[in-house]
Amino acid sequence: MTDLLKTPASWPQPILGRAGAKDPTDLDAAVKAGAFEGLRIAVRLAPPGVIAEIRAAGLRGRGGAGFLTADKWHLAATTPADRRYVVANGYGADPATRTDATLIERDPYAVIEGVAIAAWAIGADTAIIAVRATETEAIRRLEAALGAAEDAGFIGGDVLDTGHELNVEVRPVQGAYMLGEETVLLKALEGRRGQPEQRPPHPAERGLFGRPTVVQNVQTLALAAWIMHEGAAKFRTIGTPDAPGTILVHVRGTGGAGVAEVPLGTTIRTILGLVGATTRTGPPPKALLVGGPSGGILPADLLDTPYTFDDLRTAGAHIGSGSIVATAANADVLELAELLTRFCSTEACGKTIPCRIGTRRLEEIAVRINAGTPRPTDADLIGDLSADIVASGLCDHERLATLPMTSVMRYFRPELDAKLQPAAEQAAR
Amino acid sequence: MSLIPGLGIVRGMGLTLLRFFQPKATILYPEVPADVSPKFRGRLQLLYDEHGTLKCETCFQCAQACPIECIDMGGVDTKGRYAVHWGASETYGERREESALRRAGRTVPDVAYEHWSPIDLGPVDAILHDADHDPKRMLEILAATQAAYGYLPVAALKRISFGTGAWYAMVYGTATYYDHLRFAPPAPSKGAATDREVIEGDYLSGLGQAISGTTKPSGRVH
Ligand SMILES: Cc1cc2nc3c(=O)[nH]c(=O)nc-3n(C[C@H](O)[C@H](O)[C@H](O)COP(=O)(O)O)c2cc1C
Ligand code: SF4
Ligand code: FES
Repeated sequence: MTDLLKTPASWPQPILGRAGAKDPTDLDAAVKAGAFEGLRIAVRLAPPGVIAEIRAAGLRGRGGAGFLTADKWHLAATTPADRRYVVANGYGADPATRTDATLIERDPYAVIEGVAIAAWAIGADTAIIAVRATETEAIRRLEAALGAAEDAGFIGGDVLDTGHELNVEVRPVQGAYMLGEETVLLKALEGRRGQPEQRPPHPAERGLFGRPTVVQNVQTLALAAWIMHEGAAKFRTIGTPDAPGTILVHVRGTGGAGVAEVPLGTTIRTILGLVGATTRTGPPPKALLVGGPSGGILPADLLDTPYTFDDLRTAGAHIGSGSIVATAANADVLELAELLTRFCSTEACGKTIPCRIGTRRLEEIAVRINAGTPRPTDADLIGDLSADIVASGLCDHERLATLPMTSVMRYFRPELDAKLQPAAEQAAR
Repeated sequence: MSLIPGLGIVRGMGLTLLRFFQPKATILYPEVPADVSPKFRGRLQLLYDEHGTLKCETCFQCAQACPIECIDMGGVDTKGRYAVHWGASETYGERREESALRRAGRTVPDVAYEHWSPIDLGPVDAILHDADHDPKRMLEILAATQAAYGYLPVAALKRISFGTGAWYAMVYGTATYYDHLRFAPPAPSKGAATDREVIEGDYLSGLGQAISGTTKPSGRVH
């Protein structure tokens, strides 16, 4: 199991508040600690009241993009359909991040309660919790918890005596990074090959088997449960006005690694401090990789950037998989950019030209720059190619896959130029 | 008109002689595959023979090859359902031999077909039965089939297509997409590492090197 990092006592923990439980699958203990209180309140509020409360809380998706949760639920609830679905995305695509699995392992009931609330809000009778197949412990606990929750009537044929039916199923999925992307995940759940679909229509309108489907990261669902229980106003006291609440971050640095629940708006410096990667005495990290394989590579100057959806976008990174990596002081950022670009191009699904060819070309540029055989036009090419991929990409993967190279161009230009030197000399000759 | 009589013939014969010694352009297709650029995408066009009959044999080769499944075959199957799926092995065998004879005057070896008969289809039939022959449970069926045989034999894929009613192209496309599924028994030297484990392992070790600053993290192994 991944270590939970010790955070300051003043940081609230709406996601992992019950994570210390001796047996996370013990339903009675969880209920004593407040589990399913949010679902009871949701049932009293009726669906429109639930969506209004989630909207008032300003909850945004923790799966990376930060989309407003209430908008999705409203769209799914109001699109005419014979059936609706809830899909909890616990896939955790980034192999270096275990935030979602950590939540499922430590408090499966938080996820199940969130699923039940979302299903109640949109009128779904079926929900699927997708978990990475290799996370066997998380799957085992989730299955045990689902059984107990069904016996207690929180899910199943008659949710809290409302007559509302909700069947919840755990589905282990594996085999590709892209499965984390929502339209790809839905394809896998339909038993098909995993390639993204154009949006709109958004899955909330046409998702699993063509029915309105709310796809939500497991942390988002746990937060929805907390909001129903504690109220939107209290949620808004955490984080920033644009990004209220907390998020799980997987932090890695020379000093160690682990998962922490962090209020949005905390600076990257403070977050890295949790593993001792930013001390007063030691050398600062050379670069910060923020957002996972398609993340941005930021300089140590940006250590004071607040960790929010919008501040990171402005800086050329993104929340993505919730991963923050501090590199050693002597790390080679262009080699790192090549590693990330290679991973992204290997994982691209091949459906469209920017995806299939664009990411491959980007990787080739990175390879020849690091191999000491750059071309004189390579700097321009990185910029042009990335702009084309961003403009013509089908899904977010290929668009974000440009970030490692473009962020290095933006922040580590002297290092790039040094590596481009052979080509510049040749051109001058 | 040339001033020297016969010069035109000499020129013409010269060209013939030149061509005679140049490499031949004719290849024994389909035994020898055409040498086209890997980027060749060709235009899709269905041809008709001199009797006005469609030349397409519903062989599904094109549908299989297309990574986005934009090619598919239409038709009515034996149960009257619209959309053809690959028939039972015997029927397929007869059909393709017969059509190959008609079109090429000889049969053409099909590697996939030769892989077909030897396996015992009992396990895959049991898996299909347990999964209710439901194409929506394709990934579950494929994973169980791999567990039963150690890999996904082509014959089993065709059985799955037949048993679930899912087009072979779709079964094949799904099976090839997921990195934990394999089409050959794992090589003993490599252990049982799937492509997925290799890709993620390389990424993680590269990241570890960037954190520790030990060696170059680009992970250039492939
Ligand atoms: C390449 C790619 C990978 C993704 N991986 C994940 C993932 O592992 N887990 C996740 O929850 N969302 C992932 N997402 C985001 C999902 O597409 C989707 O936005 C999210 O599950 C919606 O939930 P949210 O609104 O609660 O964030 C990924 C997106 C992309 C483009
Ligand atoms: S999508 Fe299909 S038809 Fe189009 S280029 Fe790719 S393989 Fe060819
Ligand atoms: S990864 Fe292929 S379209 Fe986005």
